[in-house]
Amino acid sequence: MRKQKVKKNHLKVRLIIFATLAAALIICAFFSEHLCPYDPYAQDLSIAKAVPSPEHLLGTDRYGRDMLSRVIAGSKTSIYSTLLLVGFINLFGSAIGILCAWVGSWLDSLLMRISDLFLAFPGLVFALAVAAILGGGVQNAIIALAAISWPKYARVARSQTLAQKETVYLRAARLSGCSTFALITRHIIPNIVGPILVTAMLDIGTMMMELAGLSFLGLGAKPPAAEWGSMMSDTRNLLATHPWVTLAPGFAILISVMIFNLLGDTVRDWLDPENGGR
Amino acid sequence: MRLKKATAAALSAALLAGLLAGCGGTGDSKETGSSSAAPAAESAAESSTAGESSASGTKTLVIGDTTFNASNEEADVNPHSAYAGWACIRYGIGETLVKYSDEMEIQPWLAEAWENVDDTTWKITLRDDVYFSSGRYMDGEAVKQCLEHLLEVHDRAAADTKIESMEADGQVLTIKTSEPKPALLNYLGDPYGCIIDVDAGFDNGIVAGTGPYVAVEVATDDHLTLNKNDDYWGGEPKIDEITIKTITDGNTLANALLSGEVQAAYGMAYESYPQFQNDNFQFSQIFTSRCFFGKMNFDENSVCSDPAVRKAIAAGIDKEGFVSVLLDGNGFPANGTFPEGFAFGGDQVTTETYDPEAAMKILEDAGWVDTDGDGIREKDGKDLSITWLTYPSRQELPLLAESAQATLKEIGINVDVNCTADHNELVKDSKNWDVYAMANVQCPTGDPEYWFTVFALEDSTKNQGKYCNEKLESLEKEMSKEFDPAKRAELAIEMQQTILDDNAFVYCSFLKMSMISQSNVSNYTSHPCDYYQITADLDIQ
Repeated sequence: MRKQKVKKNHLKVRLIIFATLAAALIICAFFSEHLCPYDPYAQDLSIAKAVPSPEHLLGTDRYGRDMLSRVIAGSKTSIYSTLLLVGFINLFGSAIGILCAWVGSWLDSLLMRISDLFLAFPGLVFALAVAAILGGGVQNAIIALAAISWPKYARVARSQTLAQKETVYLRAARLSGCSTFALITRHIIPNIVGPILVTAMLDIGTMMMELAGLSFLGLGAKPPAAEWGSMMSDTRNLLATHPWVTLAPGFAILISVMIFNLLGDTVRDWLDPENGGR
Repeated sequence: MRLKKATAAALSAALLAGLLAGCGGTGDSKETGSSSAAPAAESAAESSTAGESSASGTKTLVIGDTTFNASNEEADVNPHSAYAGWACIRYGIGETLVKYSDEMEIQPWLAEAWENVDDTTWKITLRDDVYFSSGRYMDGEAVKQCLEHLLEVHDRAAADTKIESMEADGQVLTIKTSEPKPALLNYLGDPYGCIIDVDAGFDNGIVAGTGPYVAVEVATDDHLTLNKNDDYWGGEPKIDEITIKTITDGNTLANALLSGEVQAAYGMAYESYPQFQNDNFQFSQIFTSRCFFGKMNFDENSVCSDPAVRKAIAAGIDKEGFVSVLLDGNGFPANGTFPEGFAFGGDQVTTETYDPEAAMKILEDAGWVDTDGDGIREKDGKDLSITWLTYPSRQELPLLAESAQATLKEIGINVDVNCTADHNELVKDSKNWDVYAMANVQCPTGDPEYWFTVFALEDSTKNQGKYCNEKLESLEKEMSKEFDPAKRAELAIEMQQTILDDNAFVYCSFLKMSMISQSNVSNYTSHPCDYYQITADLDIQ
């Protein structure tokens, strides 16, 4: 019992640390325009490819743009695009899952076969094809990734809803005259939100990587937009001679993905009943 | 239980097999074409470890090239198709009647001598010791047959040369043109003028030329395999087999050369040069007439149809900065169509210089004003926004686009960059672009007329921007009949100035071309015309 309490406290500390770091990242990204020491888009060829120095902590790129400013400005595109993407696929996929579980019959079969179809495609390859058809740009990259990522949430929501549907309390609620809307919003959703939230938290890092991957391949952000993936792609030629230009956005991706992944793991552990979770 | 174990074992075996199959894939699923007449060639994938001398004693060489690809109109090595003649001549497969000296003056090659009988008649005497790689003897009839086919199928040759008829008599070929064509021999030195054996066919884009190497396999956008021509008239080629690998990404090319996957490289990004500035590698560098320039769209729907916008764009691009920083000094800012060194090039014409203040004033005077404070000017409710179309296979074109994007934004012009390998299709429709930035060798024949007839006249094949100037048209008519080189140069200067006054083209920079190779490669040498790359002297120790 004591052991479990210590573990729970340890988890709580981890949760606070990672939640704080993630919140800090999100807040920094929100105020990125005010945090940039220089204009991230202003070119000054006279200081191109400058090594990191007190004036330019992460050096400058081939156009003389301050790398620190571009990494900070890029956080807005990279982090908010990811959050938007995860938020959308979470809501859309969950809604489909709940609908399937609740209605059942032919609708369930149809939607689940469609989701099977999307799951059968190799993820990034399908996203590449969609992005190539729609053209470049962050918006299209988000649409491409959303198209392949929602089935996972639909599956989780469906299985959780099916489990809840057979519970005694729900039958009681139904007998007491609750409407379908009330049953879903008041009883089903609050009881299935945990696993969906954990899936979403763990997905943030993956989605951030996939968005950066699409941008790296030239199907995401377009120049001169500061976006970590496209910044790495644009500066690949300089990796051997001016590594800081490529490594700066790379580290930004690494750190952000790590924070969101660790937060996701911690939230999962926190909600796990075996760890004394809810 | 036993069944479970057996299933698990089977699944593991399947996974392992899949893994091994994945690792062992040769990736040779691309469509390849090989000449039936030529000996079967090993695929490039199989010969990717080739280097100096292999165990069997055959000398091999692998060259990485960013430009040998379909998007560059070099899908194969057939000189009668688009710009594939560049590959034909560059890789030592085909040769032309005349070749250019380092000063870009014409010299005998397959033609031994020539005579201008009258304004429209040329008598060309051919060498008598040349055979095609198909085994056929090269005589006047073979050359006539080749040129007739060229005129029939090629998009530029007939308009360039104005050849009306030809007569062959032994080694003498008499050409009659429909009008005086002073630069006829210059045109016949263009890569499309490679003399090939038409009877040998064009299977899979492979042709039989007279050069030191024979194309045996073409896989578009992947590789080209060449074997030495044992019967080459100019001496025995030193290398038995050469593979040209298409590597469009500059970074991949740099890594391929560093790792030894290729022993020589063409089209390397200037930014990668520092990695090769050591004893293990050597550079062959030369200034060429290769130019980065933008052509303006004169379609009425394009904002570039407004002369003030064109003038402002010309004055809003920082050419000096681009050359010194983004090209790392491997070029020089361009003034007109042709570089210094030509009688009609360099500072003999004047154009806009980088002056953001002046550019802003030009736009303001023309009614382009930023009324909504978003930094972009508007006029009649239309934003001053241009689409800058370019392509990535010339590594610095995207850099020029992004540099221009920033400097033009300062003067209130929004630039949307579309950098795509599909540019050749997009440029055909004038709705897709306002400025098309490209790289081109401006004076590949040593004569100025070529550029104007290809790019700037009303019926030019590459005038997709629909530029038309009556004065330019009449000057070209004059030039087409003028035999005196000095007067042709004067006309070329006047024609350039006409174009510059219209700001129909904005010339950004001329480039220093470099070919990089391992230090054990010899005679891999750049030429001012940018197309003699592989010769019989090329060797590897």
